[in-house]
Amino acid sequence: MSRQGLAIWINGLPGSGKTALAQALEEKLLERGLNAERVDADELVARWLPGLSCSLSEWEGVIRLVGHICMLLARNGVVAVGAAVTPSEDLAAELRALIGRFVEVALRCPPEICRSRDTSGLYEKFSSSVLEGPDRFSEAWTGSPGAEVVLETDKESLQACCEKVLRTLEILGYIPESHGGEYTEEDEAKISKRLKDLGYL
Amino acid sequence: MKKRKVLIIGLDCATPQFVFDQFLPDLPTLKALMGRGFWGPLRSTDPPITIPAWASMTTSKDPGQLGFYGFRNRKDHSYDALYFANALAVKEATIWNILSRNRLESVLVGVPQTYPPKPLRGHMVTGFLAPDTQSNYTYPEELKGEVEKVTGGYIIDVKDFRTENKKWLIEQIYEMTEKRFKLIRHFLVTKPWDFFMFVEMGPDRVHHGFWRYCDTGHRLYEPGNPYEHVVREYYAYVDKKIGEILSAVDLRETVVFVVSDHGAKRMEGGICINEWLQREGYLTLKEQPQGIARFKMDMVDWGRTKVWGEGGYYSRLFFNVQGREPQGLIPQGDYEKTRSELIEKLEALGDEQGVPIGTVVHRPQDLYRTCNNIAPDLIVYFGNLTWRSVGSVGTGAIHTFENDTGPDDANHDYHGIFIMADPDLPESLRGSSLDGVSIYDIAPTALRRVGLEPPRDMLGKVISAPGGGS
Repeated sequence: MSRQGLAIWINGLPGSGKTALAQALEEKLLERGLNAERVDADELVARWLPGLSCSLSEWEGVIRLVGHICMLLARNGVVAVGAAVTPSEDLAAELRALIGRFVEVALRCPPEICRSRDTSGLYEKFSSSVLEGPDRFSEAWTGSPGAEVVLETDKESLQACCEKVLRTLEILGYIPESHGGEYTEEDEAKISKRLKDLGYL
Repeated sequence: MKKRKVLIIGLDCATPQFVFDQFLPDLPTLKALMGRGFWGPLRSTDPPITIPAWASMTTSKDPGQLGFYGFRNRKDHSYDALYFANALAVKEATIWNILSRNRLESVLVGVPQTYPPKPLRGHMVTGFLAPDTQSNYTYPEELKGEVEKVTGGYIIDVKDFRTENKKWLIEQIYEMTEKRFKLIRHFLVTKPWDFFMFVEMGPDRVHHGFWRYCDTGHRLYEPGNPYEHVVREYYAYVDKKIGEILSAVDLRETVVFVVSDHGAKRMEGGICINEWLQREGYLTLKEQPQGIARFKMDMVDWGRTKVWGEGGYYSRLFFNVQGREPQGLIPQGDYEKTRSELIEKLEALGDEQGVPIGTVVHRPQDLYRTCNNIAPDLIVYFGNLTWRSVGSVGTGAIHTFENDTGPDDANHDYHGIFIMADPDLPESLRGSSLDGVSIYDIAPTALRRVGLEPPRDMLGKVISAPGGGS
């Protein structure tokens, strides 16, 4: 059965948990039989563009590249899980318009905690123009307007964050529910009789 | 070792004394598979019951870790909140969950505890906890149409198992098996798969329904009865059906397992556990029933009850503890003393002549790595599983020779079977019997053979020859 793809866009500071959440989501989506692929901007740059200066204009180019890949995947029925520090609301809106079926997940986490988790030195790599500014990652930041999920990764476990995203996707009708329904009373009565007849009860 | 496809043939309750000994001459397919790999007894879970055994096999986690201890479990410490442990209770990763994560395809047919269906990368027909074929018993949902078309009407499980019409019963079992194997063969050739697992429930149904006719040691056995060879003939039939489906499998590229979740043995009778508890002063009913009655929670005088029990192939005892149950009677400080006292009394239990029957009693904490959810307070194997537990009250006796739901001739046993035919096994190791293989070993072995590293938290080991040859 062919299924429509979509892009899950995970946005937040370096060290806010984007990669961990993207990995967990990819795994859970695959477990549910969906075609899923993770496109992580940090990993792409580390692997293919190690000399990148991470200025604002260069980083915006990276985001558009990641967005383009997600768009190609989504239009071929894949759930693309994108993870990237997305410097502006305008850029997020541009990606949303490009991809269509787009779910933004905003990860909020105090910068000092993010810095302490930053093992790959990304804070030093990114210029201040990427990380700072009026609409970028301040304490009041909740992602772009219309971000479907906001997670506080300093307070919520990875598993809880993952389940929240998946539940949002189910509610929005982007992915099927994870399982069939509970037994009705009638079902329970049938099962009870069957198991008693079979000697199990 | 090269990555292979894996096929697991599950035969519920297939028992080693039949497969590896008494019926072996009639089982050429299974004998050939034994000659292509390892084989031997497979230690089941405690308890050795369909649920939790198949879930333990496919997750390599014990019942305590899984958090269910049988088909029906307590939701909480109230007296009557119970739930059936179906697929919704399985929270640990199964073999097919792990394969799906790794973009490998699975096909499952009739694996117990898979209803209601959960999505996977592949196709699934759920097991006998589906209420009926009107329910959504497949994944994806539209697979149901194909199942019904191929089988001419799928049979989830035999109906009216307690019938005295044995001719009708065996015909039903054969029809169920025939349809399931037809579907399996169809899926083997039409669906993509890296892992294929099915479970045929027929052996279990045949044992419980017909053991007395075949076992010369059974107290109800009559020589020359018309069903004397039913069990042997059914095993031979299943062997033939396995041969037919294997013709659709490339055995040079596929590791084939044949497994069962537990074994079977003669049942001597039943112990009416709630009658015994009343006699010993642990259980008090509000009033004595008029005649035999199914035990229900609203019969119990909780203010004067310390312990109640459940019927089944084994017994679970539950304590009424102060501060834990709503009208708890056993002080928490007396909990272990009460357990020890009951263990001593139960293990001394005799048959109707007073001869000890060798009952074995376990504390769940001694069996499992952890006890999630609500574990029973004691697990009891009457007569070391030669007697079943009967929950009914009003029987007037501790010992009974009729189950409270009708005739039943066999109980479960601790060891089922495993056969593992592996194309990459050196010739010198083929045909080797192995001891010490447990139900927890199947999942890690299957994962290794499809080329995946088993998760470290799986309890079992990868099956290999003594000395490590594999």
